[in-house]
Amino acid sequence: MINFYSFKNKSYLVSLTLIILTIIIIFFKGLNLGIDFKGGLNFEIKSNLTTNQLNEYFDFIDTDREVLIKREVGSDVFSIRIESGDNNPVFIEEIKNIIDQNPDIEILLSEYIEPTFSEELIKNSIYALASSLLVIAVYVWIRFDWQFAASGIFALLHDVFVAIGFMSLFNIEFNLTMIAALLLIAGYSINDTIVLFDRLRSLTSNEENKDNFETNVNNSIKLNLRRTILTSFTTILALLCLVFLAPVNLTEMPIVFIFGVLIGTFSSLFLVLGIVGDLNYEAVLKARDS
Amino acid sequence: MIIFKQWRLWVSLLLLIGSYIFIKPNFDSQTSDSKINFGLDIQGGFSYLLELNEEEYLNNLLVKTSQYIENTYSISSDIDNGEIVISKNQNLDALTNIVIQNLGLEINEKSDKENSYIFSKQSFNKSLSDMTLNAVEIVRSRVDFLGNKELSIQKVGLNKILLEIPGDLDNNVKEVISKTAKLTLHLEKNNIVGSKTFINEETGEQVRVQEIPNITGDFIQDASLQYNQNEPVVAFSFNKEGSDLFAKMTSENVGSRFAIVLDGSLITAPVIRESITGGSGQISGGFTNETANNLAIILKSGSLPTQIKIIQEKQIGPTLGQEGVEKGVIASIIALIAITLFMIIYYKISGFFTVITIISCLSLLFAMMSLLNTTLTLPGVIGIVLTIGMCVDANVLIFERIRENFKHNIEDPKNHGFNSAYVTILDSNLTTLFAAIFLFAFGFGPIRGFSISLIIGIISSLIVTYIILKLFINITSIKYLGLQR
Repeated sequence: MINFYSFKNKSYLVSLTLIILTIIIIFFKGLNLGIDFKGGLNFEIKSNLTTNQLNEYFDFIDTDREVLIKREVGSDVFSIRIESGDNNPVFIEEIKNIIDQNPDIEILLSEYIEPTFSEELIKNSIYALASSLLVIAVYVWIRFDWQFAASGIFALLHDVFVAIGFMSLFNIEFNLTMIAALLLIAGYSINDTIVLFDRLRSLTSNEENKDNFETNVNNSIKLNLRRTILTSFTTILALLCLVFLAPVNLTEMPIVFIFGVLIGTFSSLFLVLGIVGDLNYEAVLKARDS
Repeated sequence: MIIFKQWRLWVSLLLLIGSYIFIKPNFDSQTSDSKINFGLDIQGGFSYLLELNEEEYLNNLLVKTSQYIENTYSISSDIDNGEIVISKNQNLDALTNIVIQNLGLEINEKSDKENSYIFSKQSFNKSLSDMTLNAVEIVRSRVDFLGNKELSIQKVGLNKILLEIPGDLDNNVKEVISKTAKLTLHLEKNNIVGSKTFINEETGEQVRVQEIPNITGDFIQDASLQYNQNEPVVAFSFNKEGSDLFAKMTSENVGSRFAIVLDGSLITAPVIRESITGGSGQISGGFTNETANNLAIILKSGSLPTQIKIIQEKQIGPTLGQEGVEKGVIASIIALIAITLFMIIYYKISGFFTVITIISCLSLLFAMMSLLNTTLTLPGVIGIVLTIGMCVDANVLIFERIRENFKHNIEDPKNHGFNSAYVTILDSNLTTLFAAIFLFAFGFGPIRGFSISLIIGIISSLIVTYIILKLFINITSIKYLGLQR
């Protein structure tokens, strides 16, 4: 049988490496912020033109505004992102009229966000994220012990943070939908973790069980191993369907989530119970016994 | 028969019948309040998020409050930097603490010479929010007059309005919602003091008039597009009070000009030829049919309390949404088939129970969404997929526990296994549920759409696993569950 608990120091090292890599990637590559968080104009267009032709076409836009053109993988749909600048409302009308007259381009979606509002959206998203994390921590603390709450929250932040690094590495646009994807990862991560916590608690509270802490940790993981693998497998199965079949502007979300499921499975198998152990949960158990 | 002794059987039937009843209106042609609406990202359409100017409103409110104090208590005050400053060299006895509180003010600074007051945050926010509700009605009536029937309009935050209209883009909407539509009538005045020059931006015509308006558009009762010698004009009529003011103004100033000003720019400045007592008038000045109609609409809907700014604008063509839905539905069905096949191969009969549980979970979810008149968006669909995942996870947890109990010869493996697994499921699902509720409260746009289907989904999943899955486990002998190995 695999001794999961004995891997914990190596796992910490892996996790630390991932965190450092993420910091480096974000530092050098930055986040590809979408207009939700940066303000500006976004078009999804359908066109037979190539990216180069479109680049030339959009040259008429004054040079102050940055224009980003990206082809959505495997389709004739392009996303055009134009930075916000002076007198936006007039600019939008002008550019829409110009594009409308081009027979080679069909506008599928156009969206504009005022930079003042995107600042508010950032604040809003942070509130939403922070409050839901807090409520998770409080709930786990009430239902279990603080060591569990601390470890669960750490794993959750770890998974979400590394997923952000993944998005930065592959230049995936960071927008409100992606916040939802990150929350999905958070939800998945905490779910996985709590199932293990529950097992460990029921094993350690069983009076007939004389095993030491390490064995209990290993048993909790072992008894749940099949469930962890099955659930990750079925979730990834469903997500793969979404990757290949989701509408072009939503394919990135399931990809990020698949990565999240993998990293979440890693952290629940190798990190969370190790942390609970290192926070000296054994002492709590001993105190309870005597 | 043992099955009829199961209370779960009757509850299950009740759930299924209930789900059927609540889902049914979605397929009826007539409109109903308990239906699932599709978000703009699914059905196509356009939306605007409008923001009312908070600063402008604060200034208006300060002026109004200061005038009120002056008129009611004969106490003069100045407005300075968002504060009402009241000098102490006057009788302030009437200005009791209760009066100040009722005005929504609180003391900011006290000195020997003067007191300064600001609006308390709470009272200002309340007032701002009321103003926005009022503006929502004005915007609604403007868009209604254009003939857009299925619009959805709601207040967002304290001073924002979200307007969503399915279907093709109607450019007039942007035109009528972005105008404040403050119409004012000013008499000509040639003194420099207290006068102001307004300019017509198109013709360059300008006229110097009295700065404070003689009549405002608030008195307008009705307005419509009419034709004067084949030229489109906007005809308007005042209410009783406005008619009297207009009659007085015109009879006293025959021969002089007055300016009709809309949102600070001159439209026209006709000469008063005779007194107008009928309380109606016409505005002409190079309108097209469309612009005249738009102006008539905004005049009869009333002016907005402050300037409005469009802070988010979205237009989704029908193809993208259609394609999204078709692909999304196909993706979900394939995912569902893949998962169910896998579960049946892996868990045999029990896997088949999972399939029934998932289907019941989905029907309960759609029933609740219909009942609550929820708007389903693409992120919402992703929330539903996650729900299916959680439902499958719950099934796996239960089956694995039963299998484990069976292996260790624990007494009553089915019940024992189900119960201990259900505690775990409750713990993990409730954590996600609480997080989702907070997300719903603080989130915006896609986050809200995602969290609402997650909330409803978790509740459905918890219910069906407890009722329907347990029913099937109860009535099946452990030999046939397919869990012993």
